[in-house]
Amino acid sequence: MQQIAEEKTTEKMTFAAEEPDSGFAIVGAAYKTFERREAKIRFRDRLKGKPLVSAAILLVIVLGCLFAEHIYNHDPSGFYLDHLNAAPDGEFYFGTDSLGRDIYSMIWYGGRASILIGLMSMVIITVIGITYGCISGMAGGKIDAFMMRAVELANSIPNLLIVLLLVSIMGKQNIFKISIVIGVTGWFGLARIVRSEIRQIRNSEYVLAAKSMGAGFGYLMIKHLVPNLVAAVMFVVISSISSSMSMESTLSFLGLGLPVDVISWGSMLSLANKALLLNTWWVILIPGVFLVITLLCITGIGNYFRKETNRKESVL
Amino acid sequence: MDKNYALVTKKVLKRMIGFVAAMFILSVLAFVFARLAPGDPLQSFYGDAVESMTTEELDAARARLGLDAPLTVQYVRWLQGVLHGDFGLSLKYKTPAQEVVGPLIGNTLILGGLAYILVFFLAVVCAVICAMHEDTLLDRAICKIGTAAYYIPPFWLGVVLVLIFSINLKLFPSSGAYDPGMQGDIMNRLRHMVLPLIVMVASHLWYYAYMIRNKLLDEIRKDYVLLAKSKGLGKREIILKHCLRNVAPAIVSIMAISIPHVLSGTYIAESVFNYPGIGNLSVESAKYHDYNLLMLLVLITGSLVIISSILAQFINEAIDPRMKEMEEIA
Repeated sequence: MQQIAEEKTTEKMTFAAEEPDSGFAIVGAAYKTFERREAKIRFRDRLKGKPLVSAAILLVIVLGCLFAEHIYNHDPSGFYLDHLNAAPDGEFYFGTDSLGRDIYSMIWYGGRASILIGLMSMVIITVIGITYGCISGMAGGKIDAFMMRAVELANSIPNLLIVLLLVSIMGKQNIFKISIVIGVTGWFGLARIVRSEIRQIRNSEYVLAAKSMGAGFGYLMIKHLVPNLVAAVMFVVISSISSSMSMESTLSFLGLGLPVDVISWGSMLSLANKALLLNTWWVILIPGVFLVITLLCITGIGNYFRKETNRKESVL
Repeated sequence: MDKNYALVTKKVLKRMIGFVAAMFILSVLAFVFARLAPGDPLQSFYGDAVESMTTEELDAARARLGLDAPLTVQYVRWLQGVLHGDFGLSLKYKTPAQEVVGPLIGNTLILGGLAYILVFFLAVVCAVICAMHEDTLLDRAICKIGTAAYYIPPFWLGVVLVLIFSINLKLFPSSGAYDPGMQGDIMNRLRHMVLPLIVMVASHLWYYAYMIRNKLLDEIRKDYVLLAKSKGLGKREIILKHCLRNVAPAIVSIMAISIPHVLSGTYIAESVFNYPGIGNLSVESAKYHDYNLLMLLVLITGSLVIISSILAQFINEAIDPRMKEMEEIA
């Protein structure tokens, strides 16, 4: 589009230069016959630079999890006691674990829990982070300073320690509880980014105009602040899905997350220590590979939304 | 000079008061949190014997452990103990909490310290390589590998390393800090630390390397680099002698802030490799509702966090006096 506009102006310029005397024919005779060519953007060009591979792999995994019922060939929570620790073969594609459960079926079924936890934590992180950041950024002065100090302090305490404290209070975990724990402890970084963005736009004309027309904080936040934040926080929001999934699996592995009978990729990996003793690699590698690939795909998509810092030419 | 001296004393005093206040708040929070936990501490103290005890015996046990008093009284009692250097009994190990933690702090500090040094050394090396070969295949490859390593859950990396290197190749031991009776043997300790170190470095390296890389990339676009280049200096000399020096203050302040962050990496590394350290102990004490132990560990970590943030501020001020002025204005 821009290119066309440029072409147009150069054409105008040349006509003007050709006929310097005629004061009125600035644009020249050919002006009206100039046809605007619609730039034909090819589908392939449009996809350029987009994280296609990540999106495709992620789509396959998510679809597999959504339609788990149609894919799995064994009961994911059934114990096949005469096939304990069976290596991958024709019947159990990915082998069985030390409880005799079919890993192939569990992968698709357990992915639901893992992805659900990631998404729910992301929602909690986003809501708390953006609200807190907006309040802090708009408040200014002492309130802002206090709120940011608190977040900084909380952010510098190892995240895992806070999670450990919370988990030990909450008792037996389920999917919702663990999402809440992860969400409640994961929003500090986001809040800081939101706050610094808000500081930049809080004195914009449109915010002042809305304020002087009597807009309340909620209205202001949803109508004016949040839409302007989207670009800045997209990367953090998307990568919070992967960090939440990672945290879930870590907690489950440490024996503080989901119990073994609630199937998720994390709780499948909580059998890893047992599998080490038996040297059954498939119990460790297969759920882990699925988890890691999902995390990397989400990160790849998140990176696409990362704010590109436009650097000038290197002088080195 | 005298005035300056008084100013410094005042500042240090102010920091100390802030430190004590922060520790107090932290201890109250940790105390309330720990007491709210639903698990029965008697369970971890007596194990399965709890089920065969009568109600009177249970009450007596609670009174003996000081668990029957109201929360505020318990807190005051605990605080009095702490001021006398008594952090209460570890409910699981049945010994004073500080005696459980004491011998393990050293192990964690060795592991954490080595990881810390390695992480920042490698981060600077990676960043310099990336900056020197910006936008070439090498740079992109390092970026991709670094990001991937950063997003792999560290516990899984640890388990896979154990599976490969200690179970199948039998190169490195899979757990512990040293073989029994070889506590003083440095080589033996190092062999035990190789795998945990790999896990910790892999999970932290890229975070810092990327930060330093971006700083360096901004730096090599400055005018003095052009001057140095026109004088005939090579790429390596410009980056190492000029750019890196200019970035150094930023690196140092990142290093100071990140002490607790890197140290928290020991939690996972220690629990995967069953390394006797305070990270492993924290996970265990959260699992078994060992209040007193968890409190002590929270306090240790908390004081580390606060001390390192104060340290970071001091270092920043020493490097860049403008920071001080900014604080005085604010």
